[in-house]
Amino acid sequence: MSAAAGKPMKLAYWPGCVSRGFTPELHGSMALVADRLEIELVTLDRANCSGAGVIAEHNQELADTLNARTFALAQETGLAMMNICSTCQGAQSECQERLDADSAYRAHINEALADEGISYEKDKAGFENKNFLWVLVEDYGLERLRALVTRPLSGLRVGPFYGCYVIRPRHRIGYEEHPERDLYLEYVIEALGGEPVEYDGARKCCGFPVITMNRDTSLRQAGTHVGDALDQGADCLVTPCPLCHLNLDMQQPEAAKVVNRDLGLGILHLPQLVGLALGFEPKQLGMNTHIASTRWVEERLGSQTAAA
Amino acid sequence: MPRALPTHDVLVIGAGLAGQRAALAAAAQGVSVGIVSKVHPVRSHSNAAQGGINAALNPGDSWESHAFDTIKGSDYLGDQDAIEIMCREAPEEILHLEHLGVPFHRNEEGKLGTRAFGGASQARTYYVADITGQAIMHVLYEQLMKHSADVERYEEWFCTSLAIDEGNRCVGAVMRNIRNGQMELFTAKNVILASGGNGQVWSPTTNALICTGDGIAMAYRIGAALMDMEMIQYHPTTLAKKGFLITEGARGEGAHLLNAKGERFMERYAPNKMELASRDVVSRAEQTEINEGRGFPDGTVALDITVVPRKRIHEALREIVLVGRDFAGVDITREPIHIKPGNHYTMGGVKTDINGATAVAGLYAAGEVACVSVHGGNRLGANSLLDTLIFGRRAGEHAAARAKRIEHGRPSNQTLEREERMVSEVVGRQHGSGRRVSEIRRELGETMDRHVSVFRDEEGIQTALEIVRRLKEEAASAYVDDRGAVFNQDVLGAIELGFMVDCAECSCVAALERKESRGAQFRTDFPQRDDEEWLKHIDLVPNGGGPEVAYSEVTLTKWEPQERTY
Amino acid sequence: MAEYTIKVRRYQPDGEDVPRGPYWQEFEVELDPTLSVLDGLLQARDRDDGSLAVRCSCRAAICGSCGVKVNGQSTLACLTQIGEAHERANRMNGNGEVTGGDSEQGELSPAGGNPIVIEPMGNMPVLKDLVVDMESTHWEKMRRVTPWLLDDGDPPERERIVEPEAMVDITQTIACIQCGACVSACLSMEADPDFIGPAALAKAYRFVGDPRDVETRERLYDLAQDPHGIYDCTHCFSCVDACPKGVAPMDQIMRLRRAAGEEKINDRNNGHRHEIAFTKIIRKKGTLDEAELLQESYAAGVGGKLKPSKRAIVGLAQSMPTAVRGIKSGKMRSIPKLIPGVHHKLPGDAQEHVQRIYEHAEEHKTELNLYITGEEEILENAQGDEPPEAAETGAPDDRMGGGAGSLPRTDLVGGGAPGTQATDGVPTDRTELVDEGGARPTDQADREDEER
Repeated sequence: MSAAAGKPMKLAYWPGCVSRGFTPELHGSMALVADRLEIELVTLDRANCSGAGVIAEHNQELADTLNARTFALAQETGLAMMNICSTCQGAQSECQERLDADSAYRAHINEALADEGISYEKDKAGFENKNFLWVLVEDYGLERLRALVTRPLSGLRVGPFYGCYVIRPRHRIGYEEHPERDLYLEYVIEALGGEPVEYDGARKCCGFPVITMNRDTSLRQAGTHVGDALDQGADCLVTPCPLCHLNLDMQQPEAAKVVNRDLGLGILHLPQLVGLALGFEPKQLGMNTHIASTRWVEERLGSQTAAA
Repeated sequence: MPRALPTHDVLVIGAGLAGQRAALAAAAQGVSVGIVSKVHPVRSHSNAAQGGINAALNPGDSWESHAFDTIKGSDYLGDQDAIEIMCREAPEEILHLEHLGVPFHRNEEGKLGTRAFGGASQARTYYVADITGQAIMHVLYEQLMKHSADVERYEEWFCTSLAIDEGNRCVGAVMRNIRNGQMELFTAKNVILASGGNGQVWSPTTNALICTGDGIAMAYRIGAALMDMEMIQYHPTTLAKKGFLITEGARGEGAHLLNAKGERFMERYAPNKMELASRDVVSRAEQTEINEGRGFPDGTVALDITVVPRKRIHEALREIVLVGRDFAGVDITREPIHIKPGNHYTMGGVKTDINGATAVAGLYAAGEVACVSVHGGNRLGANSLLDTLIFGRRAGEHAAARAKRIEHGRPSNQTLEREERMVSEVVGRQHGSGRRVSEIRRELGETMDRHVSVFRDEEGIQTALEIVRRLKEEAASAYVDDRGAVFNQDVLGAIELGFMVDCAECSCVAALERKESRGAQFRTDFPQRDDEEWLKHIDLVPNGGGPEVAYSEVTLTKWEPQERTY
Repeated sequence: MAEYTIKVRRYQPDGEDVPRGPYWQEFEVELDPTLSVLDGLLQARDRDDGSLAVRCSCRAAICGSCGVKVNGQSTLACLTQIGEAHERANRMNGNGEVTGGDSEQGELSPAGGNPIVIEPMGNMPVLKDLVVDMESTHWEKMRRVTPWLLDDGDPPERERIVEPEAMVDITQTIACIQCGACVSACLSMEADPDFIGPAALAKAYRFVGDPRDVETRERLYDLAQDPHGIYDCTHCFSCVDACPKGVAPMDQIMRLRRAAGEEKINDRNNGHRHEIAFTKIIRKKGTLDEAELLQESYAAGVGGKLKPSKRAIVGLAQSMPTAVRGIKSGKMRSIPKLIPGVHHKLPGDAQEHVQRIYEHAEEHKTELNLYITGEEEILENAQGDEPPEAAETGAPDDRMGGGAGSLPRTDLVGGGAPGTQATDGVPTDRTELVDEGGARPTDQADREDEER
């Protein structure tokens, strides 16, 4: 339960591919933050890509088996599993739904894992797969988080950007049990002392999935949401999804051309935002590797530190 | 400003199953066809027919068996020539729908599969899960889109009245384009009414808000007779609060009816057919249980679907799982759901012959608006979709043939102007000059449900008639808020209310007139069926302020009336 | 009974004494919490303002008339309980946007706080109040997909014989009531109004999945090649959430993509190529090498048999500025990173196991459709019921379609006629795990590539 009386947590950790590829600062900042939060992460280094929905589109059974393998590896550790990628969460939840729905299908999928001596077991005690955002709010607890804040993000106006896969589809993403999952980013921003910014795009799509197929549709989405957040006075956006980060940050200059306006809004990974409040420096958190400048964030926090 | 009038050989009013089928059938004859609907066609109420459509298509079944079940179901008030036609032509129609792409349920061999339904001696109901009406209607709309060069669609146009010429022939209709308020006179060699029933006259009802009896009232107003208007079906399984329908398919799949003591009470009323007796019988049984104190405190009995295997529910009763979950908060796969008899269907309507022709030349009617009469005193489940399709097609074909023989008529002078004045008058009514439309509508619905429902008697019907006549006066001055032209639903509501009170008056008069119990009409003061005196239809035509009663013979072919037990 | 405030986005194009453009108006309504938002709107219309326009008819989520946005969510007004909408609104501000929790999760502001916000659907022009123009958007797109069965023109004497599951499968898309909620919610359409969109593409699947339709490949080719077709869906699940009937339009779009892939349709949007490249990389490396993906999905087969399309070359060129910026900022480690083969591999024998999974899955290619099969636990009957095998409702004497079966309940019928319960509709068992086998175009391409 929430707060867990300050006990250290230990989780099987699936970082995903992008956090070790194009956005290494995500993996890096997560490691720093986990340490500070006393969350021990056991990396599933043998695990494979979730397929990001793309493999499922190609061969559903393949995607289901690949993710069953990841779950099975996590279940070997006896720990609950945490990911830091909304897209992984979405793809994995979808596969898990099918695996859990049908024992014959599950047995068929497990056949493919037998060689490796592992299998996915439905409803195995202690096993679940959660995004860092959910872990933070539901298991770690906002109070406990708040207690660790050494540099409150006072005055920092943060636009939440959820990414699709931790909020939709609701029936699969645990909304019956946790009806407020699409409010968690706001909760976290507030717990860290920041100010959530309301803007139109918070729960919309970054456009990444069609970047190679329909560049204009993709970048128009990214550019529009960044622009809306700017118009509402955001100093930065925060996202639990590295793929959203790619489209909102790395593609931001291109998106600016498509929506025909100046952008320039820092896009933070969720662990980076938490890390800032826990006292880490932007550079430690890899914010200097971003394409879109995060200088507004640094200025706000700098002036606040100076004032204190 | 002179404008070209919308002109068609055949103008269909209403775009549910009967209307769409009529339009496609007429267009197939090569005449020019227009189809008008006050809602987008796929919003039509045929959507709500969940359970299926009957046809004697299986080897071992016969149209005669289907016909006999229908006649017995009608309590011998159905016209047997029309019933014969419907049952003979049913198999071909099912195959036609299959060929158009309706995804009918298949058995393991990949052939059309059936389910059981009430009042039928064989399982002859073809179905698409429990969205049969929706599936068929959407497939017909696919065909309308395919044939858009042959059938002009007027979607969201409201018909305010039928246009007649000097010889009282129907030669068109006056329409209001709901999107911009423009009034138009449509001319046509033939008009086919397919505008549905009048369930909204009762409250609660399974019927949609659009089922306001427009076509019944408009035909009546130009002198087409209405028939069997006292025959109002109460469906045995409707949700207590909102009146929503739980398909008879549930009982077809084996669901039980239980009273508050947990008894399968149908044993006492229909020991052979049990829950699958005809609807009037089951509804009366339920109402008796409730009236005699064996129902639940909320005035209901229970439908227990949990006895149906879950896999079968998942496959065949998906929609009502949703209805239970979303509108009653009940998981029907795990617990019984409370239901009661509720207003569902108008067996009566505009009197037609077997080709859909009415007493007014040029005017046809098909579907629930019409009374052929294939349903007589009580319609069998899964015969309504069949009725719409068979007689929709026949009306379309016949009207097309007639159109080829005749010239366009000329509407009486001032037809359009009269309707424009009528609308202006409604819009111009002052606040406080009368009651709100919604108030009158509510009182009408509650009155009819109280007095002209499962059990009736003279005193109750007389009370209802008096109230209805007062409401008719009040409706004429009911005021509206909306003065705009675009999507003025307020003014349409006032016009619909006028249609509804006409229908209500006719149902009361007919129910009062029939001094016997037959089918859906159960008179506690005349509890027996009386074939000597009442094996006849009650026909109503307008005469001054109200309906005038006449009688017509029931057509018997080879089935003599017998005692009716299930 | 409870009191609620509903806040309606209004627009009266020709109203008297009202603002010219859109405006908000609040109504106080009083009704049971289990009644619907539509009931609330109708009460406001009946009691307060008859000019409040909203399409509605069945009130039971069948007719598809009352698509609106409630607290920002596209849905049917009749299907949204007003009590629930009220709870949701209380976690939000007055504009249908989320403001965040008070401090801790689970804390709601006091009852009666925020109004329930009701707006017309998105992605469609507003005609009046909550009434939108579906004709110029939704229906126009619907007509784009040739929405009628294309058969061989020669219907058989009887019905066409088809797999029972195939009919159940397309019943999912036939269940669409054309309410437009998915179109309203579609985030791709928001960015690209020409996107064919979720409703029309679900309709397209209704024919692609229908074994009676004979132009499957033509349909798929058309939808794959259209730049606003199946590869313009951004996979955001908004339509899945919005759909009141479980059609799951996005799932149908993904099935269209899968079917287009099976037909070896190499679309000019690089959708299929992207999918193949992605799948191939994971086979080779276990995790995603984005740089390789970028290159592969645009220019797969350079040097092999496949020529990159003109559009692919343009796409790769367009991605170069981003790549260069990535390298400068340290995101991509070096120019060579854009050349495949540098990505780290899974430790030990892990990659071999991944490859074994590929072999297994490509051999079977099972597609589990929960719409057809349902969820096991939910389908298992409560204790005391007959086992599923004995579940058919048919009585042997009167069965017409064949299949044996007994009627366990006959003893309860009180000596009645067994015929009353007859049906030949044998419940379809859960789909077998189908072994389709057969060579696939992608395998072919992979092999060629590896040989190279």
